Amino acid sequence: MLFQTLPFLVFFAIVYPIYLLVKGTRLRLPWMLVISYVFYAWLGWRYLIPLAYVTIADYLVTGQMVRSRRPRAWLAVSIANDLGVLVFFKYAGFIADNMNFVLGSLGGSYAIGPVDFLLPAGLSFYILQSIGYTVDVYWGRARRETNFLAYATFISFFPRLLAGPIERANHLLPQLHDNTRVTLRDFTDGLSTFVVGYFKKVALADYLAMYVVRVYGDPGQFRAPALLLATFLFGWQIYFDFSGYTDMARGIARMMGIRLMRNFDNPYLAVSMGDFWKRWHISLSSWFRDYVYIPLGGNRKGKFATYRNVFIAMVLSGLWHGAAWTFVLWGVIHALGNFATRELERTAFYVHRLPRTFKQLFVFMLVTFAWIFFRAGSIGDAWTIVARIFSSGSANPAAPLWALAMIAAVWCYQWLFESRLRWFLELAAVRVLLVISMLAYMILTVPAEGKPFIYMQF
Amino acid sequence: MEEKTNSVSPAGLDEAVAFDCSHYVRLSGRQWLIVAAALLALVGLGPLIWDRIDGFNPGNDYRVPYELSSDYWLYHRFCHRACEQGRILVVGDSVVWGHYVEADQTLSHYLNELSGSDRFANLGADGTHPAALQGLLKYYGSDISGRTVLLHLNPLWMSSSKHDLQTTKEFRFNHPELVPQFVPKIPCYKAPLAARIRIAVRRQMPFAGWVSHMRAAYFQNMDLAAWTIAHPYDCPITAMGQKLPEPRAPERPPQVSQFPREPKKQDMAWVDLEGSLQWRFFRQAVQLLQERGNTVFVLVGPFNEHMLTDQNRLVYGKLKEGIEAWMQENDIPYLVPSALPSDCYVDASHPPAEGYALLAKTLMESPSFKALMRK
Repeated sequence: MLFQTLPFLVFFAIVYPIYLLVKGTRLRLPWMLVISYVFYAWLGWRYLIPLAYVTIADYLVTGQMVRSRRPRAWLAVSIANDLGVLVFFKYAGFIADNMNFVLGSLGGSYAIGPVDFLLPAGLSFYILQSIGYTVDVYWGRARRETNFLAYATFISFFPRLLAGPIERANHLLPQLHDNTRVTLRDFTDGLSTFVVGYFKKVALADYLAMYVVRVYGDPGQFRAPALLLATFLFGWQIYFDFSGYTDMARGIARMMGIRLMRNFDNPYLAVSMGDFWKRWHISLSSWFRDYVYIPLGGNRKGKFATYRNVFIAMVLSGLWHGAAWTFVLWGVIHALGNFATRELERTAFYVHRLPRTFKQLFVFMLVTFAWIFFRAGSIGDAWTIVARIFSSGSANPAAPLWALAMIAAVWCYQWLFESRLRWFLELAAVRVLLVISMLAYMILTVPAEGKPFIYMQF
Repeated sequence: MEEKTNSVSPAGLDEAVAFDCSHYVRLSGRQWLIVAAALLALVGLGPLIWDRIDGFNPGNDYRVPYELSSDYWLYHRFCHRACEQGRILVVGDSVVWGHYVEADQTLSHYLNELSGSDRFANLGADGTHPAALQGLLKYYGSDISGRTVLLHLNPLWMSSSKHDLQTTKEFRFNHPELVPQFVPKIPCYKAPLAARIRIAVRRQMPFAGWVSHMRAAYFQNMDLAAWTIAHPYDCPITAMGQKLPEPRAPERPPQVSQFPREPKKQDMAWVDLEGSLQWRFFRQAVQLLQERGNTVFVLVGPFNEHMLTDQNRLVYGKLKEGIEAWMQENDIPYLVPSALPSDCYVDASHPPAEGYALLAKTLMESPSFKALMRK
């Protein structure tokens, strides 16, 4: 069930009034859990099996952890179990393919048969959330949740189940217990956020995808201008797609009185790669920071160790996105970009003399270059695109001016939002007109069929 | 990556506790009411205002353009105009519409010519098999009330279980938006539940029809996004200033219009009339028109019997007898004309211009039709 489709709107129109009725009673948590599981089962009832397994396993293991004299062993069991599930469903095929490649290169005749398990939607998201919870309990940063219903709801809460935000125990769990009131402000803020997300997804992301799919589907047929434009558009497509999903998720949760964490903060206005990762998929980057980078030593052990830790975190982040070398390379490029902007930020010229817009443009170009590897179907395709960008000459890219105008409008809005002129955007008339424009545009122009979110595949 | 400073709470969450966004799109309850009012105004007034400024002025031989066959809002609009003018409505599928002929060579044109008036309006719609036709009349023909209707039945739709929509294997048929979405069940129609609900809702909303009309008429049946990708340097606002397509006959390869004079004889798998879905829907269409106070005259065929084997012609004859029996039983004026000469067919059911002229003449000479005209 996708947020932007009719079945979800019908689903929510049914479950939400009941939620409002039971919110102050003992039925609140059971109802939240039931609707979360129904929402998830709509995509495929088999998906419930790994979800329930991870939930029950971590609930029991953390119980043992807090009672045991050897909590570290139980932590290891939990992490190994969670990663085992992730590897089994997500990386088994990738590992098998690479082992076959190595065996073949060594002249071996044995080959592992095809491994193609059904990847449950949102698996990577709830696995990270569960690992984060276990680690937080181990370190004493969060209390072990004794109420199984609350814990199961924490893992499966439907607005964030498919593509995050990856929540933290001490942020979401207390709300599941305490936030039993839903105010009019909750509803109107949630609705506003949902509409913005809806617009980003159906009016922008799905629109830009049309051009991107055509070019990236057969990059060898296109020349530099079209490839550059498609890469530029993909950068915006994935932003609108993912941040649109997040806005919808946060909006729905907010209508239920739950505040999910912010996941995006105008990332294409970042002035360094470090800044970019504080603005892009914040719940993931902060997860890698807290559970990978800092445990590895963070920036406490010198420059080399810092860069090594950044590199490991970035590559793992790339691999988390998908079981393919393209994602690993994407992570590597981000790590290298991070090194580059870190070094530049040590220079007075970059910090004080270079205009902010140049820095933003530089970071945007780095990020956009990395998107080539993220979006390409294979390493070969990615190299083809890079090579053709520099060597294929010019041709009319058939650039959809309407799309470019819409991107420019969004960029202007974001620029205003971060400028001294932001008061203009706060004006009630501007906000009302903006919402009317977005809704009218969608009603008049957007097709009814919903397309899946990019991040659901991760 | 930055070192966190708070060992108790992971850094970054403090700011996330507040419900902050990277934009200011937050409206209060009162502001949402303003938005709702503005959208209701758009939904309610948009089609009406467009109707005023568009300057739609159909002539005597107007028919809904072929490219806009699925533009039900335009059909409804044309229907409304024709009813306002008190014309006799000629309703049916592509045989009435005139698939192989120009707008001034259709049945309604020759009826006007023979009657010396412009009383007949061509309300044919390409591809409207009876299941779709009853939906078209039900949802988009609400203005047809207290009028005289010449309703055409094309027996082709009963010439096989596939035409009759009875096969269990799914296939794409014309106008799925017009057929019943839930009851009665059409075996070959297997649209997902969400699509059926969407269609059922859209049929009740003139605004949705208007939006479809805009797409069909000005954006080549594409949504805005697809259109701007296909026409990257064109302005969509300018596109809306274009004229509606002309109601010309559709372009086709030359060989299609050259139907052999002596077609190969064939056996058609005529369905049993009692079990026929299309016949059932046709009867519903008649009843619906009657319930709305219309006088209905039914024209059956004439089907190109020259292409049937002798044996098969007998089967078809029995089907016609069944149809006639129902008409008589229900006191519905009708005409089942004999087949036209073989050179008056382009295919199984469509006449060329001379065929339409002959059919119009046959109709005008029919006593029951004359009686209808006198009313």
